[in-house]
Amino acid sequence: MVDLPSPADRPDEPRVGTDEWVASHGERTARRTGVTGFIARVWDRLPPFGRLAVFVVPTAFLPFLMSEENLTRYALYTLFYALMGLGLNVVVGYAGLLDLGYIAFVGFGAYGYGILASPQFGNHFQAELAIPAVAIATAVLGLLVGLPSRRLVGDYLAIVTLFFGQAFVVFVNNANRIDFPHFGHVDLTGGANGLSDIYPPNFFGYEINSTRRYFYFVLAAFALVLTALYFANESRTGRAWRALREDPLAAETMTVPVNRLKLLAFAFGAGLAGFTGAIYGSFQTGAFPGDYDVGLLITIYAVVILGGTGSLAGVALGAIIINCAPELLRSEHNASLLFYGVILLTILGKVRPWRVLGVFLGGLVAFGFAVHAIADAAWPRLTAAHAHSTGFLKGPIEDWVLLPRHPVKIADYGYVILIAAILLVTRLDGWRRLVALVPTVYLGAFVWENLLITQTAGATRLILLGALLVALMNARPQGLLGTARVEIV
Amino acid sequence: MNWSLFFDLTVSGLTLGSLYALIALGYSMVYGILKLLNFAHGDVYMIGAFIGWFALHGLGGPISPDVGAWIVTVLMFLAAMVGCGVLGVVIERFAYRPLRNAPRIAPLISALGVSFFLQNSALLLFGAAFRDYDSFDLIGSRTRHVGQVYYATPQILTVCGAIALMVVLTLIVARTTVGKAMRATSFDREAAAMMGIDVDRVISVTFFLGSALAGAAGVMFGLVFGQIYHYMGFIAGLKGFTAAVIGGIGSIPGAMLGGLVVGLLESYATGYLPQGSTFQNLYVFAVLIAVILVRPSGLLGRAAIQKV
Amino acid sequence: MSAPARLLDLRGVGKSFGGLRVISNLDMHVDEAEIVSVIGPNGAGKTTLFNLVTGIFRPDEGDIVLDGRSIVGLEPHQITNRGVARTFQTLRLFLNMTVKENVMAAQYGRTRSTVVEAMLRLPRARREEREIARLAEEKLAFFGSRLMGYRWDQPAYSLSYANRRRLEIARAMATTPRILLLDEPAAGMNPAETHEITELIGKLRSEAGHTILVIEHDMHVVEGISDRVVALDHGEKIAEGTFDEVATNERVVEAYLGPRHTRKK
Repeated sequence: MVDLPSPADRPDEPRVGTDEWVASHGERTARRTGVTGFIARVWDRLPPFGRLAVFVVPTAFLPFLMSEENLTRYALYTLFYALMGLGLNVVVGYAGLLDLGYIAFVGFGAYGYGILASPQFGNHFQAELAIPAVAIATAVLGLLVGLPSRRLVGDYLAIVTLFFGQAFVVFVNNANRIDFPHFGHVDLTGGANGLSDIYPPNFFGYEINSTRRYFYFVLAAFALVLTALYFANESRTGRAWRALREDPLAAETMTVPVNRLKLLAFAFGAGLAGFTGAIYGSFQTGAFPGDYDVGLLITIYAVVILGGTGSLAGVALGAIIINCAPELLRSEHNASLLFYGVILLTILGKVRPWRVLGVFLGGLVAFGFAVHAIADAAWPRLTAAHAHSTGFLKGPIEDWVLLPRHPVKIADYGYVILIAAILLVTRLDGWRRLVALVPTVYLGAFVWENLLITQTAGATRLILLGALLVALMNARPQGLLGTARVEIV
Repeated sequence: MNWSLFFDLTVSGLTLGSLYALIALGYSMVYGILKLLNFAHGDVYMIGAFIGWFALHGLGGPISPDVGAWIVTVLMFLAAMVGCGVLGVVIERFAYRPLRNAPRIAPLISALGVSFFLQNSALLLFGAAFRDYDSFDLIGSRTRHVGQVYYATPQILTVCGAIALMVVLTLIVARTTVGKAMRATSFDREAAAMMGIDVDRVISVTFFLGSALAGAAGVMFGLVFGQIYHYMGFIAGLKGFTAAVIGGIGSIPGAMLGGLVVGLLESYATGYLPQGSTFQNLYVFAVLIAVILVRPSGLLGRAAIQKV
Repeated sequence: MSAPARLLDLRGVGKSFGGLRVISNLDMHVDEAEIVSVIGPNGAGKTTLFNLVTGIFRPDEGDIVLDGRSIVGLEPHQITNRGVARTFQTLRLFLNMTVKENVMAAQYGRTRSTVVEAMLRLPRARREEREIARLAEEKLAFFGSRLMGYRWDQPAYSLSYANRRRLEIARAMATTPRILLLDEPAAGMNPAETHEITELIGKLRSEAGHTILVIEHDMHVVEGISDRVVALDHGEKIAEGTFDEVATNERVVEAYLGPRHTRKK
């Protein structure tokens, strides 16, 4: 046998066949430059409590800066989404179980709290009793749902839980007219009307009855849950969850009782959902069947996935983006600012070098004025209407975008063509893409002004959310703060 | 026993089952090849129903069609099938293909995003109101009967149409080159690629076929039940997937059987079980759980042997 | 002098998959502090043997006894807790966890604190956490500088193939097993690494005190480490003894090279 040098001989030299290059892979790719790199490095060096403080301390001053209405819309709902996201993160992010019935647990918490503290049954339990009781009951429900599911792998679990979520909605919608044996007719959930007038939580006589009190209460709950989850993740249980996510069989042979831990993750996530749901229900002073349907489920999934599954900071970031961006869309003026702002920023960030960028922006502006001028001369009806956008945007837009007097049909076609155009642009590259982008952006502005802006409170928000999810998965499947994962199938 | 009720329920169950079977086929084929839960499939079915509606009204409407009523019906099916087929291919190309090698959850979320996008685009473009097919004006309202079994024209059209489509699909998968490539790809994608099969093309064809079937099911739904709406895809998609799982996901005869089982079950639940029409979905859910627990690979599915 | 204690004893074990007999009527044993190699051509049932012992499959017949108690019917994690740990032929690390976490995760079974204790940072959870970390570092240090220092905090997927094999062994060691089952530890390694693995297996017994059952194709490794060799073919034991005895056994040569070869000889 040839006498090969033993690898420990010369530790400083990289050698062919050893793994120096592979080992430094992480460092090479992670070394980011500029402002984002600086922030990332500072963030990495902060101790866990420091990171929590970075989020919580500035947030705590929000009530002094915002009106009550804005505090509810921007801050409180973000915190609620984040709390729901934290529970889902345990199930999906840590244990890797695809639970599509998660929202039903939130709903169960809200209804459970409503039954314990609303005029429906004349109960009014103290919150320090009711909220833990509801959380524990929801965890038990999670255990029961998990029991038949524990043998199911991946997608089967997804479908069973999705059905469970649907079953929950059907149940609460109709549980006002079920005849129970022994009890007779009981109106359990108020049916389609839901439970209303849920009392605000009352801790040892201290009532959470104002927006500001709710805000601090939920912020404290969020900080506590986040801290607890951080420690849970770094414990033997957290490691076992992640191990079973990575490879259930290897985890099982490495002393991890996989089935029991799956159930634990399920019940744990459900308990957190029930806890959040109880507070959420009391805050909304009611529990209604439509609230806990697929819409909220997808929103919370978006929160977790956008930030990066498995990352606690990611959940917070995801909640901020998912709640605040559509909220901004509610007012037409803000929506327009956001829409044009995002497009402009994307162009500024992506089109390089500066010369090309200048030509592109110039071309875009000129294209719009040209189209507008031609239309003005030939078919004045196409430019006759007024812009929905207000403020400083109104003037330029009326001179630039076509605003037909009867936009309905033409804007519908424009929408379909726009989707096709966007898909086409993603297939082109180089200068072709830039050239094609000019009419596409213009068409986008046209569809926005004539169709999308009229529905900013409804369909448009959800369309943009759907498109955002697809685009994000294409660009960064691991989420904003997630680390790229290796998966071997 | 009330036989006439039983026959009525059976007829409506078979009709419903045919729809579910067609939807389930698309789910099952895609799952078989990509191991992807295509949540947008139900919304493709919804779009199919709308394409059929626009085809119908483009051809003069149900009361006074420009050409013969049966030709209109055939054209509606063709338009919906081709339209949905293309839509399916486009969805795969842009929402799933870039994620082939991403973690399993990424295409799933992308699918949810597509579903959201399609549903709300339909809401934006077509509005929240129901749209009526008025199929009785188009293909007659006469209820026929054989003995005690009563059925309407759209029902028999649906059942026969579904059977015909399934036969065609089975022939494509069993006899043609592309069918053989599909089976090879679903068995082992990498090995198939190394054997010179253009896997991307096979996947596109699979999406085209599955989505075309969903489009046909959408038109059938419109003809049988009359009214279509932007939200109809979600529950139908869920039932279709349940059917695919009950039958054995990845198996084409399984999807057909599963569809019929779910359809009949739902229909009988409505007629025979307490508060059946309210809780029919719960009954279907219970059967799904039972089947998965007893036979995790589904009724006609093959159990995969775990390789360690 | 009494006979060495039988640590692992397989008695008449058989297993079929849908009519295909993979293991039939297999008797074999591993004594305390012994290194036993299992050899045999591909498809001889070697990995199935490991899967039966670790509880991934349940034998159709026969009994598997660990230290006097039957382990048939126990779940894999229970068997590992009793003292049987394994590595996998196709590596099965927790790729997206760090090197150290991989080894820490394998100590789930020997610790007790609950998730509630961990969230509240109660004393038992903190004490156990320190012990887990200490043991993990100790096991990783067994491989010299290979898995030390900055590598602790790197994800397992960034390791080279050879280091992944080492990490799998470290992970198995962290379950504090009495017997280690190594499934082709030298597969895919270059000659230097193979040489090193041979020494390592010796060290696993002499320094770490493990009893070892190893599947290996590389005959140099088998020759270098084995007290005893068991040869399997078509699920049956065809030879057993020292390396030289088994290597010259006619049935073993036949199993590897085909019947014509032996006749010519």
